[in-house]
Amino acid sequence: MVKLEPKILQAVEKPARYTGHEWNAVIKEHACVDCTFALALPDVYEVGMSNLGLKILYEVLNQRSDTAAERVYAPWTDMEEKMREAHLPLFSLETFTEIGKFDFLGFSLQYEMIYTNVLNMLDLSGIPVWAAERDENMPFIVGGGPCVYNTEPIAAFFDLFIIGEGEEVISELVDVFIHWKTAGRPGGRRGFLLRAAKLDGIYVPSFYEVHYDEAGQFSSIAPLEEVARPVIYKRVIKDMDTVRFTEKPVVPYLDIVHNRIMLELFRGCSRGCRFCQAGISYRPVRERTQERLKELSRTLVDATGYNEMSLTSLSSADYSCLSGLVDELLHDFHEEKVSFSLPSLRIDSFSIELAHKMQQVRKSGLTFAPEAGTQRLRDVINKGVTEENLLTAVSAAYRQGWKSVKLYFMLGLPTETDEDIIGIAHLAKKVVDLYTAIKGRRGVKVTISVACFVPKPFTPFQWVGQNSQEEFRRKQQLLKENIRDKAIQFNYHDARVSFLEGVIARGDRRLDHVIYEAWKAGARFDGWTDQFHYEFWMSAFAKCGIEPEKYNQRERSLTEPLPWEHTTPGVNKEFLLREYHHALKEESTEDCRHGKCSACGVCPNLGVRVVDWGDADV
Amino acid sequence: MFKYRAEITKGEEIRYISHLDYAALIERAFCRSKLPVNYSEGFNPRMKMAFASALAVGVTSDAEYMDFELVKPLCQPEVFERLREALPPGVELLRLCTLDGKHKALMAEVDLAKYDIFVPLAGTFLEAQRAVQDFNAVREFTYERVTPKKKREIEVKQYMKLPITVSSREDGLFMTMAIIIKPSGSIKPGELLRVLRESFGMPVDEQQALIYRRALWGQGKPLIELIEE
Repeated sequence: MVKLEPKILQAVEKPARYTGHEWNAVIKEHACVDCTFALALPDVYEVGMSNLGLKILYEVLNQRSDTAAERVYAPWTDMEEKMREAHLPLFSLETFTEIGKFDFLGFSLQYEMIYTNVLNMLDLSGIPVWAAERDENMPFIVGGGPCVYNTEPIAAFFDLFIIGEGEEVISELVDVFIHWKTAGRPGGRRGFLLRAAKLDGIYVPSFYEVHYDEAGQFSSIAPLEEVARPVIYKRVIKDMDTVRFTEKPVVPYLDIVHNRIMLELFRGCSRGCRFCQAGISYRPVRERTQERLKELSRTLVDATGYNEMSLTSLSSADYSCLSGLVDELLHDFHEEKVSFSLPSLRIDSFSIELAHKMQQVRKSGLTFAPEAGTQRLRDVINKGVTEENLLTAVSAAYRQGWKSVKLYFMLGLPTETDEDIIGIAHLAKKVVDLYTAIKGRRGVKVTISVACFVPKPFTPFQWVGQNSQEEFRRKQQLLKENIRDKAIQFNYHDARVSFLEGVIARGDRRLDHVIYEAWKAGARFDGWTDQFHYEFWMSAFAKCGIEPEKYNQRERSLTEPLPWEHTTPGVNKEFLLREYHHALKEESTEDCRHGKCSACGVCPNLGVRVVDWGDADV
Repeated sequence: MFKYRAEITKGEEIRYISHLDYAALIERAFCRSKLPVNYSEGFNPRMKMAFASALAVGVTSDAEYMDFELVKPLCQPEVFERLREALPPGVELLRLCTLDGKHKALMAEVDLAKYDIFVPLAGTFLEAQRAVQDFNAVREFTYERVTPKKKREIEVKQYMKLPITVSSREDGLFMTMAIIIKPSGSIKPGELLRVLRESFGMPVDEQQALIYRRALWGQGKPLIELIEE
C-alpha cells in the first residue's frame, strides 16, 4: 500500500485527485479475489473520471465476485515530480495498491496525443515500457478504446489489445486469466497470451511480424503463431438493452470535465460523414429502448445524487424516441430539479425545440458543426446539411432567446480551395447578421472553432495526404483576414499538434521508437497546450531517422497495403473506396439508419444489425 | 418551512477537498437521501443550505455546522437516518436538531474556532516553545495577507482568544489555537503558523501541518447547542 505523506499532498495542486474514497468507489480485499484489474486513462483525474467506457468496464468487472477493478489516472506534472523524488510508485485510487502488483493494467486510448502518458505511467509503476522486457510477475498491459483501429505505433508497449466494445470480452479475458492462473500459469506470460489470442477481438501484437518492401514501405503483417488470426474484427454489443451499463458510477469530490450523469442513448452513427472515424468504428447504430433508458436514469439519479444528466451519443438528436423520452424525463424528475442536456445538436429546428424544452432557464450557448464553409465541400464530406438548414436552425435558436452560437469547422479537407475557406467567414457573418435581422439589434456572439483535418484509418479519406503545417497556417491566416465582424470569435488549432496527430494516426510500428524517444526527452500531456513541446518530437524523429511527412503528407496509393488493416471495425475496403470516389464527385450517400443500406459491410461481417426503435413502431 | 441544524465532520478521507466541493457533496447527499429539501425560488433554484464557516483545503474537522430546510416536517430520527446513510466516507452526521422560531444565520452566530495542529519539527523543541511564547507575549502583530487579487494588512492578535499552546509529540509539535471569528473576518491557523515561522523563528514547515478543527462556537458553546434552549 502506498502512503501519501501530507508534505507531498500539501505541495501539489488539487490533492484530492490522488486521495480516492469517492462515493460508489468499490473497495475489495485483494486476497479474496482471483483477478485484479487496474483501469487507467492516461490523462489527469478530471479527464479520466469523465470517461464513460471506463465507468462501464469498472462495473462489469466489479460485478464479478472474483475480480477487483480499481482506477488510476496520470498524476499531473507537479505530483509526478514529488512521486519520483520520494520514490513513490503509481498507485490505485481504491486501495492505494502499487499498480505493478495488479494482474492487468488496462489503458483507455482516446487519442494519439496521450501515448507518451502511457509510457510515463508504466514507468512510474516500475513496469518496463517495452512489452518484450516484462517479467512473469508484472501485470499484462491491455489497450482499448478508439485508438485500436491503428494500434501499430504503440504495439510494442502493449501485451494485448481489445478491439471494439469491451463489456463482454473483458470478462472473457478475466475468465481465461483465472483458468490459466488456477492451472499453475502454464507456459508463463506467453502461455496466457496464447490463450487470450483465441478470444474474438483480442490482438496480441507480439504474435505478428511486420514486413517492409525495398522502398521502406509497409508491405504485410503476418501471424507468427497458429492462434493469431490474420484479421481481428472488433467486438460489438448486439443488444444494448441487456448489456450492463454503469448504474453506480463513482461520484468525484472534485469538479471534473463531465460532472454529471451520462446516459448513453445509443451507440453508432451512420450519417456517413466521410472524415469521421467514429462514424465507421462504432457502427452499426444500436439504440436502447425508451423504457430501459427511463429505468437507467432513475437508477443513476438515485445512486449518485447528481441533478444534471447529459443524454449522450455520437448524435443524440438522432435517437428515434428522443422527444418522448425527454418529455418523460422532464416529468419524472421535475420535483428533484434534475436538468438535462444534449451534448450534440443536429442542425434543424427539431433540435432547437428540444434544447429549448430542456434548458428552460439558462440559454448557455448552442453548438453546431457545419464542418465546411461551402455546399460543395460539405457535399464532398457527405455532411448532409445546407446553409439553409443552418440558418433556419439558428433563427429558431435566436427566437427562443439564445444569443451565443458556436460553429465547428475543419481546414484542409480533401479538394478544399481558398474559396471554401473564405466560405467559413461568409457563413459566420450570415449567422451574425441573422441575429440583427431577427432581433433588430446586435449582441450575438458567434464563435467559430476551426480544427486542422487529420485523415484517419478506416475512413474514406484514409489515403489522402494531410496539409503541411505551412499550408494550415496559411489557411488560418487567410480565414482570419476574411473575418471582419467583431461579433465573430475565431479559434483555431495548433497546426503542429495536428501534424503529429496525423503522423501517429496513420503510423506503423517503426514509430514506437519515436514515441519512446519523445517521452524520454520529457514529452507528456502532449494534448495540453501548456505542456506541449514540439521540439521533443522533432528531435525524436531525427534521432530515429524517420521523416514524419512520409506518414501524414504522402498521398497513398489506393492499392497499397495499409499497416492498420488487421484490427478492423468490420468495414469493407470497397465501401471506403466507393465513398472516396463519391466524395471526389461531390455525391452524397444516404444514412442507412433510415435510407438504403450502403453496403459498408459492418453488419454482415460482425453478425449484428441496426437497432432503431423509430422504425419498429412503423 | 421546517428548519434543521446539523453537526457534521470533515474526515481524513476528504481532507484535501475545498469548501465549495464539500458543499457540493452535501448537496448530492441530500439528493440521494430523497429528503424533501427546500429550494430557493427563481430561475436557477438552489438548495437552501448554509454553513457556519468555510474550511480550507487540507483541514479536517469534527465541528462543521449547516442549516437546511425541508418542505415537510419529518421527525428528527428519520431525517437523521436518511441523511446519515447518504453521506459519503469522511462525513459523519454527529447531531441534528430542529430549528424552531427565529434564529440568526450560522455565519452570524459563530465567534470562535478551536484547532489542534500537528506539525513536524525541523529544529529543537525549545526553539519552538520560545517562538510561541514570544508570539503570545506581543501585544500586536501585523501580517500581510497576499491573495491572487490583493494584499491586505491584518492585525493578528485581535483574533487570539487564548494563548497558543505547544507541546512535544513524537517527532513534532502538538499545538492548540483558539481563534476569534469576527463579522469583519478572522485568521486561519495556517497563516498563524506562517507568522510563527517567518517572524518568530519557529522551526517548522507549515506546508506539512495537519490541522484539525475541534470546535466551532458561538457565545461560549458549540453552535448546535445554541438552539437547544
